Amino acid sequence: MTETADRLENGDRIELKFPARGDLIVLARLVTSAISARAGFDIEELEDLRLAVGELCLLTLQGSDAQQGDLRLELSVLGDAIGVDCTLERAGMATAPAPDGDEVARLSEQILDALVDAHGREVHDGSVHAWLRKHRGGHAE
Amino acid sequence: MTEGREQDPGPPSDVVESDRPALDPVAREELITSNLGLAHQLARRFLHRGEPLDDLVQVASVALVKSVDRFDPERGVDFAAFATRTIIGELKRHFRDKGWAVRASRRVQELYLELGHATGTLVQQLGRNPTVAELAEATGASEEAVIEAIEAGQGYRAASIDASESEDDPMSARLGEHDSNYASVEDRALLGPALASLPEREQSILRMRFVEGLTQSEIAAAVGVSQMHVSRLLSSSLQKLRDGIGQAEAGRR
Repeated sequence: MTETADRLENGDRIELKFPARGDLIVLARLVTSAISARAGFDIEELEDLRLAVGELCLLTLQGSDAQQGDLRLELSVLGDAIGVDCTLERAGMATAPAPDGDEVARLSEQILDALVDAHGREVHDGSVHAWLRKHRGGHAE
Repeated sequence: MTEGREQDPGPPSDVVESDRPALDPVAREELITSNLGLAHQLARRFLHRGEPLDDLVQVASVALVKSVDRFDPERGVDFAAFATRTIIGELKRHFRDKGWAVRASRRVQELYLELGHATGTLVQQLGRNPTVAELAEATGASEEAVIEAIEAGQGYRAASIDASESEDDPMSARLGEHDSNYASVEDRALLGPALASLPEREQSILRMRFVEGLTQSEIAAAVGVSQMHVSRLLSSSLQKLRDGIGQAEAGRR
């Protein structure tokens, strides 16, 4: 492919919204691949980001009623970085959002630690928001 | 609740080995055993890159042992977090050392070609076009990989578009030298406005040539002009399209 491979530029933003179901996280990963390629990330960075976005979605879904609400993914080109914001909207929370000690959430956070430059998670008013930033040109390990 | 994490600048596997006393063998063994599940889970995260799970688990397990031997509790870092970073670092290094980036690109191309063969076979078997799930099963790839290969393959298909056309009238000859530029959905999105800006007669001639597949002589007869005139109209229309698309692309940048 590729005259289109470097079309995304600083400030470009893409949004994806889909029902908050684990089996649809594949959509987030596919979109992430396409965007990373067009933002100039090499194939290893692209794979890292794809893996990380999967974890970000999982992290956002932790503790929610998985059959309710929408997962909104916003990917932004920020200079030589990509920022991903993942928000669980209108979720019916089955339980309290995943506490820090939750094992699954903790594993996702540890994986994000290894793959991206920065990440975080916020919860308020039943809405869960997790985010990450990853620069190209320097492999986070 | 708000939390954010900025990563440490140095990779975990570069952590200087501590001078702490080595764990006694039993404690070391227990620490390794209790974290084998973590190594396995992390190895699974790297599936679908062309490496067998067993190999990945082995890499992850060796990295776990390395983590145990390097871990210094006095640094105040949680062992699981430290091990996760070390294991992921080693898994990534494993792929890097094997030249994975080059192979991955080739793998996508190969899968795309494989999909072409599998599609042909399945169409004959099923009497209809196969689904992605069926293609995934036939090729042994994941559905996600199939979708990616199809998406990536748009570029390759554009390059070989003549393959499905007759030798004396290849599609590229009909479309002109820039045929591959119009092959993708994205490019057709650009083509639409440019096409609409052409005079109605030129749009009509282009449609007869490229949509209905009429020859220049047949168009000439239908429109009531000479074949040479049709040829000139097609050339100038295509040039206008290229110019229009070029302007649209320049406007987007």
